[in-house]
Amino acid sequence: MTEEQIKKMVNEVFEESFEIAPERLKPEAKIFDDLGLDSLDIVDLVVALQKKLKVQIREDERVRQIRTLGDIYNFILALKSEGYVSRG
Amino acid sequence: MKRVVITGRGVVTGLGNNLNSLMDGLAAGKSAVQSMPDWIKYKGLNSRVGAVAPLLNENEIPRKNRRSMGRISILGTQAAQQAVLDAKIPPELLTSSRLGCIMGSTMGGTEAMNEAFEIMIPNCDLASLSAMSFFKCVSHTVSMNVAQYLGIKGYVMATSAACASSLQALGLGFELIRSGRQEVILCGGAEELHPIVAGTFDILFAASTHYNDEPKLTPKPFDQERDGLVCGDGAGVLILEEFEHARKRGAKIYGEVAGYATCGSGMDMSQSNCEGMISCMRSALKDASLQPLDIDYISAHATATLQGDQAECEAIEQIFGNRVPVSSLKGYIGHTLGASGAVELAASLEMMEQGVIYPTLNLKTVDPKCNGVMHVRKAIKKEIRAFVKNSFAFGGINASLICKQLKD
Repeated sequence: MTEEQIKKMVNEVFEESFEIAPERLKPEAKIFDDLGLDSLDIVDLVVALQKKLKVQIREDERVRQIRTLGDIYNFILALKSEGYVSRG
Repeated sequence: MKRVVITGRGVVTGLGNNLNSLMDGLAAGKSAVQSMPDWIKYKGLNSRVGAVAPLLNENEIPRKNRRSMGRISILGTQAAQQAVLDAKIPPELLTSSRLGCIMGSTMGGTEAMNEAFEIMIPNCDLASLSAMSFFKCVSHTVSMNVAQYLGIKGYVMATSAACASSLQALGLGFELIRSGRQEVILCGGAEELHPIVAGTFDILFAASTHYNDEPKLTPKPFDQERDGLVCGDGAGVLILEEFEHARKRGAKIYGEVAGYATCGSGMDMSQSNCEGMISCMRSALKDASLQPLDIDYISAHATATLQGDQAECEAIEQIFGNRVPVSSLKGYIGHTLGASGAVELAASLEMMEQGVIYPTLNLKTVDPKCNGVMHVRKAIKKEIRAFVKNSFAFGGINASLICKQLKD
């Protein structure tokens, strides 16, 4: 799975689950302040990312450090480098 | 005690997503019942008919509100919105602690419950459950979603007594307003069509099974060929308001709630009980300080089950004889269960307004066991001074509510 594929799939989660227009999905966009998600949405964001990307992230402490969309890309890329994202 | 009037009405049924479409359908003798061919995949489900309500414009509800709503709550919210608009409730009243919301349903969000179990059971995996599953499932899902969406800060409650849920919501609202606890309450219920619910009745041989290929011919309340009920989507909300409050703000008043009663039959879990029905209707009449002769129409519960229709007819005959027109609206929109009391009350109020009584659809030959009352076989013009709305539920739970024209 390439970096571009990961970004595309993460963006699809935001479009499909949270009805956010693609043009708003910029790496620097803050998930709470700019994209309008709240704490309940974060639970569903984790569920949707796990399903879409076939990863287990719910118990990963690094999830708590995520602030922006770019942080999610980087987190998934890091998981990939660790071998947790198996589909390519 | 304070007087209670009705100042707003909102409904969603298989005949359309507002009260006008329901009334037009009744006037045209139109059935919303359709075949449910997909249900054939469920072994043991022999009733494959239902009345499906159109789910229109649900995206007008913002995502942050809609995310916790299953189909049932969307239907309930749309009915509530209509009722609030109809009653012209100003924003400051809508969000004041003097205005409440009581909405019932049979078992909450059945599809959401089904989805949660489909995720949870195969792998015993709870981590894949959405944060919204609970909010979509729970028995108070309709009332809490409506209340959150509209910003309601008064009483927020949910009634759950299957087919009597929304009439109990109305009865409870009536009692809270006349005792001075609240000034305005959105009362009603919602239901979503789902094979779990239809199957529950089918297992008990209470659902229609012989008209899967001719869905418009069923259900057939009071007919000798009736073979059970047909479930339907629906939502109904009435705005109950303290009379002086409504008058002061110049609200249109559709009728006055004259009396209400609910009681248990204490006899049988599933079989209707004539004595319990009689007791309930008599108590409602007494509460309303009305005599049987004051009643001009009875909107029957009559779902087209063999035993339930007969018991209700016998109960009505014992109190009213055969001089009061009786009809059931289930033939048009199916049995909307927890919504049925409110939906059919809204339709009955409109009949009172128009001075017309619509007949029981699909009633061709009256069952001799249901012959003791005056069945409405075609639309009749008649002044309705007061009417009774009945709802009778599993568990031997009865509810009757009486509305009358407003006389100062």
